[in-house]
Amino acid sequence: MSDTALGSATVPGGTGEAMIVVEGVEKWFDHFQALAGVDLVVGRQEVVVVSGPSGSGKSTLIRCINRLEKHDRGRIVVDGIELSDDIRHIQEIRREIGMVFQQFNLFPHLTVLENITLAPRQVRRWPKKRARQKANELLLRVHIPEQAHKYPGQLSGGQQQRAAIARALAMEPKIMLFDEPTSALDPEMIKEVLDVMEELASSGMTMIVVTHEMGFARAVADRMVLMADGEIVEVGTPEHFFVNPREERTKQFLSQIL
Amino acid sequence: MDTRTLEPLAVPEIAPPERSLPPGRWVKENLFSSWFNGVLTVLLAALLGWALYKIGRFVFVDARWEIVEVNLTNILVFRFPREELWRLWVALYVLAAAFGLGAGVATRVRSEDVRQGRATPPARLMTLRRLGPLLAVVAVFLWFAKSVEATILVAGIAATWIAARAGGRFVPPRHARRAGAAVLVGVAAAYLVVSAFGGVGWERWGGLLLTVFLAVGGIVISFPLGVLLALGRRSSFPAVRVVCVAYIELVRGVPLITILFLGAFMLGFFLPPGSETPSLEARALVGLVLFTAAYVAEIVRGGLQSVPREQTEAAVALGLSPLKTMRLIVLPQALRAVIPALVGQFISLFKDTSLVFIIGLTELLAVSELITKQPEFLAEGLIIETLVFAGFVYWAGSYWMSRESQRLERRLGVGER
Repeated sequence: MSDTALGSATVPGGTGEAMIVVEGVEKWFDHFQALAGVDLVVGRQEVVVVSGPSGSGKSTLIRCINRLEKHDRGRIVVDGIELSDDIRHIQEIRREIGMVFQQFNLFPHLTVLENITLAPRQVRRWPKKRARQKANELLLRVHIPEQAHKYPGQLSGGQQQRAAIARALAMEPKIMLFDEPTSALDPEMIKEVLDVMEELASSGMTMIVVTHEMGFARAVADRMVLMADGEIVEVGTPEHFFVNPREERTKQFLSQIL
Repeated sequence: MDTRTLEPLAVPEIAPPERSLPPGRWVKENLFSSWFNGVLTVLLAALLGWALYKIGRFVFVDARWEIVEVNLTNILVFRFPREELWRLWVALYVLAAAFGLGAGVATRVRSEDVRQGRATPPARLMTLRRLGPLLAVVAVFLWFAKSVEATILVAGIAATWIAARAGGRFVPPRHARRAGAAVLVGVAAAYLVVSAFGGVGWERWGGLLLTVFLAVGGIVISFPLGVLLALGRRSSFPAVRVVCVAYIELVRGVPLITILFLGAFMLGFFLPPGSETPSLEARALVGLVLFTAAYVAEIVRGGLQSVPREQTEAAVALGLSPLKTMRLIVLPQALRAVIPALVGQFISLFKDTSLVFIIGLTELLAVSELITKQPEFLAEGLIIETLVFAGFVYWAGSYWMSRESQRLERRLGVGER
């Protein structure tokens, strides 16, 4: 792997220990190349915010990291385990990665509590009592303890997304992936979700967040990544990005969304 | 950290506009709003009145119900040996106890849900209203039986049900699954009481008993089979997929009667020589099951397709295996979405059991026809009476299933999302 080609893209932040290594990853959807050779190393406890115009491959990148999409070329290593076709490796990696989706994707036929306890009970084989206790702690942490016995359809968007975060955290993952977690929310609910994510970041969680919330990026991100056309255009600290971006595409993108 | 939500503004309460009209104005606006509508109303009212009069006159005045009265036991069980009828009564008591217990536990779970704001409290007299169509059939049977013993026995069954239901309410909800198992054990016990220990095998069942047996057995077996076929049709193994598609398309392309005939008359050719051929009843049941399973499979496939792909993604992202994702996330949602179509298929099956008469089984419809050929009723033209009676029983069963399906839909909140 060449350290010079993409500069800081390959230098892990956080504790300096690599948690996620993405190397020359390519992904094709039929004849459309969604990822055209992406290199990125995310360090333990690092928070990386990924931005970029739509269709630039941001979501595809993080969906490759937990194998919701299969990458066609390159290497992805998560916490020392390489993603291959081996289903056991995939399962092992998925257990360590929590994911939060744009549309929440809570299970509508289960209560909030059941949504949260499902995976710990079924995958980690926790006893019911332990799973419930964990779920209640998490609901407290995302500030919706009173919603435990409701169904997702009875909750507001912001509450649903916070429940979805609690659901992902219940597996005690080492990494959290956020795929535009506030894009489907009404403006007045965005803050409550970002607040929860900010708390999570300050607790030392390794996070990759695909978002256009630049305020959040500025406050929370260790590094920012700008993607376009399936490639990483620029990587740097928020200060670098907002004060002194190097690439023309970055300037253009920032001027459009700020 | 700040998670305060905005305080709702104080809005003065405004009553919704009044929509109900005084009866006089309602009639005028809805039935006589123009001269044409007025004429239509009068004509249709006359037609309706005439039809009701004719039906009422037939049912309550002209019909000679003595053919039903005399043959009540035939209609219910036909060839079932009369000296063994006690077994059926015992079985009914066992079933009443089992389902009463189940109902009690379900009530307890429901009230728990209501307490936690997950469900709305049931309407008053819900149970009675739910069982309405079936109770109507029982009432009609008792009316025709005019027998004190039968009435006492039926009252005893009702009392058993009520007592078991009261008992079931003491079962804590966490044991609900065990209570479900208890209901199944009760059903198995009821079956054994009838058929085992020197009891009466299928080959001597008939009338309504056979109809209900074929319908319930058909539903209970064809449902899981259909689900498996639907899953097989979406399998990633080509061999499994091809077999399932071939089976479904083949069976759906053949009339039920053909399948019943094949089972009844041609099965012998396919079995190894010397092996015992299963009873005609068993073959009819298998035919109904195989036929219905293909339709259930297509209905379930529709349901599976209606579950968004994101649900699967969310489940596997949590680390759930493909099997658990299907069992815990996709299937429950898929089945909820197709309750109306599934129940429709089962209502069809219930009525299609009448077709087994063409292979020589005497279920409800066949008995209704046969009894008109008894010497004392021959050439009396009483087939209308017996058919109306059989029709009433089929209607009550179908209507009951249909209402249960609507209730289940509401309960599971199909339209919620």
